[in-house]
Amino acid sequence: MTAQGRAAHWLAKHGSELARHIRRLVRDDEMAADLLQETMLRAHRAAERLRADANERAWLYRIATNLSLNHLRSQARERRALERHAREADAAPRPATDGRDEADRRLALWTRVASLPERQRLALTLRIADELAYDEIARRLGCTVAAARANVYQATRKLRREVR
Amino acid sequence: MSESVMAERRAAEQIVCVAFARLTARRGEPLHYAMMEDTPVGVLGLAASGAGLRHVEFTRDEDRFVERLLARYGDRPIVRSDALDRVRRALARYFNRKQLGFDVRLDLAGLSDFDRRVLTVTARVPVGRVATYAEIAAKAGSPQGMRATGNALHRNPVAIIVPCHRVLRSDGSLGGYGGGLRAKAFLLRHEGALGK
Repeated sequence: MTAQGRAAHWLAKHGSELARHIRRLVRDDEMAADLLQETMLRAHRAAERLRADANERAWLYRIATNLSLNHLRSQARERRALERHAREADAAPRPATDGRDEADRRLALWTRVASLPERQRLALTLRIADELAYDEIARRLGCTVAAARANVYQATRKLRREVR
Repeated sequence: MSESVMAERRAAEQIVCVAFARLTARRGEPLHYAMMEDTPVGVLGLAASGAGLRHVEFTRDEDRFVERLLARYGDRPIVRSDALDRVRRALARYFNRKQLGFDVRLDLAGLSDFDRRVLTVTARVPVGRVATYAEIAAKAGSPQGMRATGNALHRNPVAIIVPCHRVLRSDGSLGGYGGGLRAKAFLLRHEGALGK
């Protein structure tokens, strides 16, 4: 299939839910469109390596989630660099606003999620960003409900340990 | 559906349309689709524009249906969507006999005048009754056009909703059906128009 044909097929079948997923992670529609486009391009480049019996939906989720978390990670890095720069330049401290604190916490959380093992990372983003039930997470990732539950549990435990 | 869910759906669809426009030549109005995987007559694919329902088709699976839609509408984004939930519920009520009639807005744009006339006349055949190709041809204003009427019914894009299965040969035999004669017989029995 051509790149265009493949992208059209995947966008038709999975585009809406992937867009919702990415959007909930990055909270920026323009960035979400970029990331969805990039997901399609990456998927196309890797499509030859995809086994015929592989779960296409789970595979697209994996690419979309990884790209989104990488984006958030670099955003967090950028923000830290800017703050360091501001401190070094001895700029007057900006008044902290609640919105900014919230955004910082969110970025910090996703940055930690990004370093979790892939299955845990995927299950956890669907659980807390998309607010899905375990059976729906299992359907999207092509795994059992028990596995979805276990991955979210492991991920949460690991994050809690890190925070402590 | 709550306001925020609707807003989220619209935003997500907008993002998908942007991706379609950047990666393909599809820049038109999106066409929504949904599947009904296990009905008594097999897998059904549904598709709708903003104006109304455009397709209820017997199909093998989702991939096949999506490819057909992509081939048929070369300039439009095709998007799987829960916008068709109302139609799906209406069909589910039909299959479990809660309500055999349909109140669904159709979008028959692109069909010829004759095909549209045939479908409009066919839509008036009530549940539990049947008509013949000759009767439909006459009512569509083309008494000699029985074959053309059969072809128009064969092209019916909204199976079940426009009940082309209720149209039989004058000798009472089933004639043809896009979804196969077993499906046609099932639907007629289901509606009580044919003995068990």
